[in-house]
Amino acid sequence: MVFTDINNQQDRRDEQEFTKDETRIKERLLDTFTPYNPDVILENDFRVAAIDGSGTDSLMTLDDIRIHLLSTSTVVVDTNTQSENLFAPIDRESLESEIGEQPHIDIHWHSGVRGDARKKLAETLANIYPLKDVATLTLPFFRDYRPGEISAFSDFAGTEYEKHVPRLREMEFLISREQLLTNPTVHEEIRKVSEYAAARRLLMSDLQLKYLLLDGALSVFMHFVRHYPSMPSGFMLRDLCVLARQKNVVVCAVSKNHTIPFAHRIAGMARDVFGDNAKWFCHLPSSEDPDGGLHIYEDRTYIPPMLAVPYLYSFSRDNRPSRIDFDRIWWLENIFVPGDPGATRDNEKALFAELEFMSRDARWYGYPVPLALAHESCKLSYEDLRLAKEVCMDVRSEMGLERRKAQDLRADYDM
Amino acid sequence: MTLDKDKLGELYGKVGVGNQTTLGIMGSNRDISVGEIFLIYSCRDNHERVFFFRVLGLENYLRQVDDIARVAGTLMVEGDSYLSGIERNMLLSVGGRMLGYAEKKGDEWVFNSPRRLPDHLASVYRPVPGTSDENVRTMLECQTEGEVYVGDLQVGEKTLDVPIRIPSKFLPMHVGIFGATGSGKSNLMMVLIKSAIDNNLDAFRNPEKNSQRVSAFCIDPHDEFAKGVDKYGIQHVVENMSASTRSEVIGEFYYLTTHKRATRRDIRKYTREIRILWSEIQPRDLYSIRDFTAEMTSFIDSQYNVKHEDWISTILNMDEEAADAANVQKGTLRAVKRRLGFLRRSPIYIEKGTSILSDIFSAMETGRILVVNTSLMSDREQFLLTTIVTRTLADMRRALKSSGNLGDFEKQGQMRLPAPFFNSVKTLARAFYGLGGVEDDSPVQDPRDLPVIQVTVEEAPSILNPELMKGQSVFKDISRQGRKFNIGLLVVSQQVSVLDNVILSQMNTEINLRLGNEREIRACIENASVNISGFENEFRVMSRGEAIVTQSHRELPLPIRIPLFDDIYEKDKHRYKDKGSKKSEEHIL
Repeated sequence: MVFTDINNQQDRRDEQEFTKDETRIKERLLDTFTPYNPDVILENDFRVAAIDGSGTDSLMTLDDIRIHLLSTSTVVVDTNTQSENLFAPIDRESLESEIGEQPHIDIHWHSGVRGDARKKLAETLANIYPLKDVATLTLPFFRDYRPGEISAFSDFAGTEYEKHVPRLREMEFLISREQLLTNPTVHEEIRKVSEYAAARRLLMSDLQLKYLLLDGALSVFMHFVRHYPSMPSGFMLRDLCVLARQKNVVVCAVSKNHTIPFAHRIAGMARDVFGDNAKWFCHLPSSEDPDGGLHIYEDRTYIPPMLAVPYLYSFSRDNRPSRIDFDRIWWLENIFVPGDPGATRDNEKALFAELEFMSRDARWYGYPVPLALAHESCKLSYEDLRLAKEVCMDVRSEMGLERRKAQDLRADYDM
Repeated sequence: MTLDKDKLGELYGKVGVGNQTTLGIMGSNRDISVGEIFLIYSCRDNHERVFFFRVLGLENYLRQVDDIARVAGTLMVEGDSYLSGIERNMLLSVGGRMLGYAEKKGDEWVFNSPRRLPDHLASVYRPVPGTSDENVRTMLECQTEGEVYVGDLQVGEKTLDVPIRIPSKFLPMHVGIFGATGSGKSNLMMVLIKSAIDNNLDAFRNPEKNSQRVSAFCIDPHDEFAKGVDKYGIQHVVENMSASTRSEVIGEFYYLTTHKRATRRDIRKYTREIRILWSEIQPRDLYSIRDFTAEMTSFIDSQYNVKHEDWISTILNMDEEAADAANVQKGTLRAVKRRLGFLRRSPIYIEKGTSILSDIFSAMETGRILVVNTSLMSDREQFLLTTIVTRTLADMRRALKSSGNLGDFEKQGQMRLPAPFFNSVKTLARAFYGLGGVEDDSPVQDPRDLPVIQVTVEEAPSILNPELMKGQSVFKDISRQGRKFNIGLLVVSQQVSVLDNVILSQMNTEINLRLGNEREIRACIENASVNISGFENEFRVMSRGEAIVTQSHRELPLPIRIPLFDDIYEKDKHRYKDKGSKKSEEHIL
């Protein structure tokens, strides 16, 4: 039933839309590139960093209080083509001396008391993110979003933002989706900020990266009325992008489970055009690009994401295509050549050749190895969590606090 | 803590999963082999312990990889793929058995069966020859000390300088040596003979230690012990001794053979010919090596009751009419004659002449080693010889055990042993057995204070099989009661599965060399004196000279490497010289 409905309603519509895009994708957006030779020796070996996080929003449940546990891990690898030890992680000691202990652990809790969620969340975020001055944190967004218009707080005068200015100076007021602060949302936000915090530490370090890979997408959720990010993480992302541009670091976000409609059709098309073994990418243009956005995602709100440029790519015939997002401002400065699609394409090809080169680890072929390593080192298994829970119980009993059950409530009924 | 962990060896890994019998260890990517022994340091609840762990299985492990085959496939198919920073993620997952643990009680290390578990994620050390030897030696002292050296503790393909010895007091509880052809049985026998000689030499040189001598009646079916397999043999040990040491430790002779004239000139000096008188044979000696029907045994027994030691000549000379008169069926007489016929043809078993049996008795009671060349004997002759010697020695000591003084002993001896033999040895026996005199009323010694006698049973399945052991076999008694008389069997066999249960259950020490097939491996594991289940893989990969020693009085199954006789002889040959001459040599140096 469900599948019939999907087929009748959505697929049919998408099919029609896709037909309109097909030729454009095939001829202008989709392309392949020349991969590096396996024995290539780069003139300038470079470093790639990746950050991934993991966590649980219910390390412990004490009545209406939930304790969140977050683990964020940073990995830096070096292409090392000169020493033939490809993409070996830099040693742990030098990494930890630059950015602190790995993986990084954060804890958060709040109760169900009115306003408590927002207050505690704001405290935790302020605590986690290294840039403490909120005013400095909010400005980069406006600089990118309204380039040339707003570059300091004084520029808000006379704009639609004037009335919100006091809100842009307090972390707590940056959380403008208070009604939606469910446990998963809170958790998601802290996790993102924790990753962004790690990213900021990396960018401020002396590690001299060329790439900084994040897990997920570079989406920013906007407040519909106020027209600025509805959560602090949105501002932080723009802060990072500005910082990265200053430091010549390419920020990109990779997501395996993206929501690009008809990705499988694009992949099929790539196979038809370039053959089964081809490594390919496909630009997903936005309405601001020459010729505008694609029809298939015309009504899909977050594709392409604001201030980001998404691509679909595949470096391995065995896996479904993934999505990668770049900072749009960086992209306009470094990849896009106005009026010269050929030069733009050449820039894209060089970029993807490098990305592909860092995605050849046999364990995760086709997926960037630094991200895979970061994922491996941050992930919390059930066993890890069980141990963490036990530790919590022990700590409580050592502190002389009353013993309360810490497992999921459903465990009481053996469900 | 008291223990220097660096002296345990190199840090190898961490304990992962497991229980008190089997453990999984995650270790670094080193060239580990099955059979290696690891030491696990644990300090649970402040109890410092060192657990001994034996590797039984290995598996490559890649951290962050669930499906190693898929990664291998990708590396193969995607020619441009690499493995980033893989070195540190390459580990070895080592499975194996806990052998037990050592802990210090007061000043002594004691060893315990595996009834505890090491700490969570305890550190695992790999012993390094030259570093760990002393520590391991001290910790395992109670498991390895003794008088009879058999080999060195093996850890994988290397050995530590930890000599493994069997206490001589456990020899009377029987020793089994099991191994397929080519597994190193002969070399082991020579090592054991040398150890017994060394023990006796030590007892002779240090009388104040009051240590017990070991006598051995060693069957040598291929005539290799005296000359040696390669370069050296027992003869070299003997020759190396000064005359006085030799006469004390070796005596006048040590080599018994069927044909003295065929013996090499240097050995001939120490040779005696094997001759046994018919009168020294008792019916149950024969029952022990062949099965006889009820009619035959009752006929033989009736003849023995009447004619005593002349029973063999009587039967062999009996004509069918005489048998008729005695109510014996012709068939039975013929069958018995046929079975005794080999005695008439044998050069060893003689009707009249000089017997060697009293010399054997005398040698065994004075802590001597006899190498018995049986290469020119038939199987039956060899088995009968072993039986007669065993039974005679046992009966002598049994007579002693059941007496209060020498007078009693003589009565007992007359009753139990053939008269001509007993009369020829009784004066000697009185000298050996009397305590402070040879008078009738002199008290006698406890057999347990006399030398330990070890009799080799070669090709054991031929006589220690369930069929023969069901009847009146002399070995049945010995296997059950030998320890009372301080007489033990050294059972040498290629197979375990075909041996009788009585002997297997009485056996308290097993030296298990490489075995021929799965059935033998299974039988060997089932019959071991300590639990060695799980060692199947070990047996399958054992090489020549390697063995697992199990002893009921010791918790730890000991993997050993038996050194080549030539090597230990080279190392020890200076010891056989006289003490005095050795000293002067040292002085000169």
